[in-house]
Amino acid sequence: MPRSSPAEPAGPPLAGGADPVLHVEALHKAYGALEAVRGIDFQVEAGEIFGLIGADGAGKTSTFHILAGLLNPSAGTVRVLGQPPRQARSRVGYLTQSFSLYPDLSVEENLRYVAGLRRVAEGDIEERSRQLLPQMGLGAFGDRLAGQLSGGMKQKLALCCALIDRPEVLLLDEPTTGVDPVSRREFWDVLARLAGETVTILVATPYLDEAERCHRIALIHGGRIRQVGTPEALKQGLGLTRLELRCTQRAQAAALLEGAAARDPDGPGSIVDVQTFGDRLDVLVRDADRGVAEVRDLLQRRELTLENLQITSPTLENVFVTRLRQEGAQPQPLAFPRSGERRQRTDPAIAARALSRRFGSFEAVRQVDLEVGYGEIFGLLGANGAGKTTTIKMLCGLLEPSAGQVTLAGQTSRLRSRELLGRIGYMSQKFTLYDDLSIRQNLAFYAGVYAIPRALRRQRIDWVLASCGLEGRGDMATGQLPGGWKQRVAFGAAVLHDPEVLFLDEPTSGVDPVARRQFWGLINDFARAGTAILVTTHYLEEAEQCNRVCFLVAGRSVIEGTPTAVKAAQPGHLYELLVPPGDTQRAADLLRRRWEPWRVGIFADRLHLVLDTAEPELEEVRRLLDEAEIRIQSLHAIPFSLEDALIGTVQRAAGAPP
Amino acid sequence: MRPLRLLRSWAHRLLGTRFLALLRKEVEQILRDRQLVKLLLIPPTLQLLVYGFALNPDVRFLPLGVVDQSLGASSRELVAALTENQVFLGAAHPRSDRDLARLVERGSLTAGLVIPPTFRRDLAKGGPAEVQVFIDGVDANTAGIANGYIQQILRRFRPESAATPARPPPVTAAVTFLYNPGLRSSWFFVPGVMGLVLTLIASLVSAVSLVREKDTGTLEQLLMTPASAWEILLAKIAPLFVLLQVDVALALVLGRTVFGLPFRGNLPLFLLLSGLYLFVGIGIGTLLATVCRSQQQVLLTAFFVNLPLVQTSGAIAPIESMPLFFRSLSLLNPLRHYITIVRGMQLKGVGLEALWPHALALLLMAMALMAFSASRFRSQLS
Repeated sequence: MPRSSPAEPAGPPLAGGADPVLHVEALHKAYGALEAVRGIDFQVEAGEIFGLIGADGAGKTSTFHILAGLLNPSAGTVRVLGQPPRQARSRVGYLTQSFSLYPDLSVEENLRYVAGLRRVAEGDIEERSRQLLPQMGLGAFGDRLAGQLSGGMKQKLALCCALIDRPEVLLLDEPTTGVDPVSRREFWDVLARLAGETVTILVATPYLDEAERCHRIALIHGGRIRQVGTPEALKQGLGLTRLELRCTQRAQAAALLEGAAARDPDGPGSIVDVQTFGDRLDVLVRDADRGVAEVRDLLQRRELTLENLQITSPTLENVFVTRLRQEGAQPQPLAFPRSGERRQRTDPAIAARALSRRFGSFEAVRQVDLEVGYGEIFGLLGANGAGKTTTIKMLCGLLEPSAGQVTLAGQTSRLRSRELLGRIGYMSQKFTLYDDLSIRQNLAFYAGVYAIPRALRRQRIDWVLASCGLEGRGDMATGQLPGGWKQRVAFGAAVLHDPEVLFLDEPTSGVDPVARRQFWGLINDFARAGTAILVTTHYLEEAEQCNRVCFLVAGRSVIEGTPTAVKAAQPGHLYELLVPPGDTQRAADLLRRRWEPWRVGIFADRLHLVLDTAEPELEEVRRLLDEAEIRIQSLHAIPFSLEDALIGTVQRAAGAPP
Repeated sequence: MRPLRLLRSWAHRLLGTRFLALLRKEVEQILRDRQLVKLLLIPPTLQLLVYGFALNPDVRFLPLGVVDQSLGASSRELVAALTENQVFLGAAHPRSDRDLARLVERGSLTAGLVIPPTFRRDLAKGGPAEVQVFIDGVDANTAGIANGYIQQILRRFRPESAATPARPPPVTAAVTFLYNPGLRSSWFFVPGVMGLVLTLIASLVSAVSLVREKDTGTLEQLLMTPASAWEILLAKIAPLFVLLQVDVALALVLGRTVFGLPFRGNLPLFLLLSGLYLFVGIGIGTLLATVCRSQQQVLLTAFFVNLPLVQTSGAIAPIESMPLFFRSLSLLNPLRHYITIVRGMQLKGVGLEALWPHALALLLMAMALMAFSASRFRSQLS
């Protein structure tokens, strides 16, 4: 049996008593002196979605390579479908995070090519591609070149290719990195359906909202599995309660509560962890009642007003971060060496009025208005191609708008003047460091280009190295850093000159949860010091960190406000529905026939359902399921996440006449 | 006083910490790039050696077929006159002119000579004797040269058995070959190849170094810093410029030691003018880099730009052999001016007094290319 966890899985849809499809026992993998995997055990049953969740360099990719038969283990037993991995290869589909497609072949040609390689009979290819492509929403794009598909469509096509010879096992190594939320959700709907058809799926993901959709997950760190269980069991097993606090003066309140957490790390009933979000604080406490009392007491003593306090359950991110913190895996936050206090300013740092941009006949951005103040974190959210990057490029002067006006740090013209550029920081989607230079050389270069005074230069470079946990390793070639670390160094390089306005274009794509949390610690520190920050992201849990967000749909800003307000403005209600494990897929199909497909999502053994009206439609749900003889185990309303809100907004806008 | 102050403030800005930081980064990158050092040393050496030895317009040992229907002493003398200077090689004696035509057709003979039965009689009469000549015209250049030789030899041909004694031609020329007394073709080619090599290397190295920044996304970051386009470009160019001057020196040394080429001009002036040309080469590369998106694209584009530049420059084929239109067009070709300068300085030892129009042309082209690249640099991302 796998390592025991506080609560064992409630029961994925298993074929009872059968041998596990994936069997991994005491797996070790060493590359020279480096031990990547140090004794992993787990088993995955048929039709189960099993998630491997861990930081960069935790040993996930090595495990995938071994299961796919690409690498031999140094020690331990690995069985796939009862066979050694190499022999089971023809029954396994493998998908990596880089698109393994030929960009200059069409969708159908790619599929046909892979089918030919895997020796699928000619007649079957035709039939299966006619079946698979529409399932993935690619039915209308058979002739399109793979290179011209969006990131989400590419991954769906890659999945089709992996599915063409009907594998019994799917290995997915971070399949949705860089894919926008709408496409990610569709991708996971497909996975849920495949699991319903008893395909066994092992998936690695840095996104914890995706982990929620796995039947069971394993937290992996330092080459070992720290915990296994259903997402629900892991959250309960943490034994903590999460408090959502909304109050004025969040920064002071956060500092106060963090102080209490640090003072008394093991005390009874006290505060364990505090996390700052865009319009709330999350406080993890050991005991709900005593925690609430303690928080109220602390805030009252400092005369800080508490507007709202909600008691709720911890998230998977809480589980992840808390467990890894117990391992001591987190560098301490350090204050940025500033040259002096900045005066408070009330004029907007970034303002856009009726901003538009056309590319030929295509309107990428239409009439966008926005305003970001100093010290504010503003999130620009949307699907791929919604116009986020075009907007950010116009705001920072890299791209000329077709119409409209931009005000940046008080200037409306000459956005490219040397003086103004010296006060602005920018970090693009791509890695912005020179791989062939050392980390220190890279930082020294940006320090020189921004003409940072010599006295400060050394201090700030040391700050970047220390806050990334890279002390003493400044002479390492930057190209050798794993993605997540490189992103943090790139962030350090972008803020070396302590900018007044900071643009971050998808700064955390592919960064693991621990690094991401630390990243946001740094971003919050700059916001507190008065820097205006505009950030785009695909990762909507992360968008909760923003003070205000704005959703772009097809180049138009459709809604803007605090994360709480945006969620509250979402029409309709979200329901969670639990039916017996074997009926999940059937229930979903049934409901999708009545309502638009986006309103129904499968989350492991649960269904999420978005309904516009409450009772009348709920009655219909009950009646439909009753007629199909599906028993409802539970049906209750749950709050919208920001991701639900975005998907709802995008889908409604797409459905509405233009 | 004002221009001086302007110059000083410009120099101050240029050498300010920002430019130094950019420059330092470029030098650090170059120091780590072993590929670049190889690229700067090996291809130029190989190209100079290969072109210097292999390129030779002299035509020798052309296979000649003879159909001798006259079969006399005078016809044998004629054949001997044609083959004795090694231009032609008596390769075949086919029986009929039809066989001869077939051999020329097949390519085993380059030229064919048919001496008719009346040859001896016509000569003996002192009247004009006719022979028929076939030349394979596929290689027009060789054919032209072969024709020239045949005409020259036939004109001077006086068979010993001829009735009339040889008459001296009315005009004779006493020819002195200036600058290249041995008429060694490598002396002509090596300076040309030197220009060719510098063009290729300068444009490729600068284009790749710039496009790489675009490829990896660092260019976008660079454009968001206060560094100006000029600073970024100059910092890129300066270290390359120094390295490419090493190539200039390498070419001079190779020309001297391997091919015995003299250097008759003023060396500092030569290095200065070569520097000017390097700016043109780098400017071409920079311009290509601003229109291309990937390294692959820039390499292919450079190929299509560089080949015509080389071919219309007079590096290999003389400009005089081109049609008038292309001859005037080649005035816009910077390589043509540079090669004229190199040949002038190396072989003739002339200075600016003779070469100033070419130097001026290079200066104008360098300035135009650099200014255009800098102005395109900012806007290239959109």
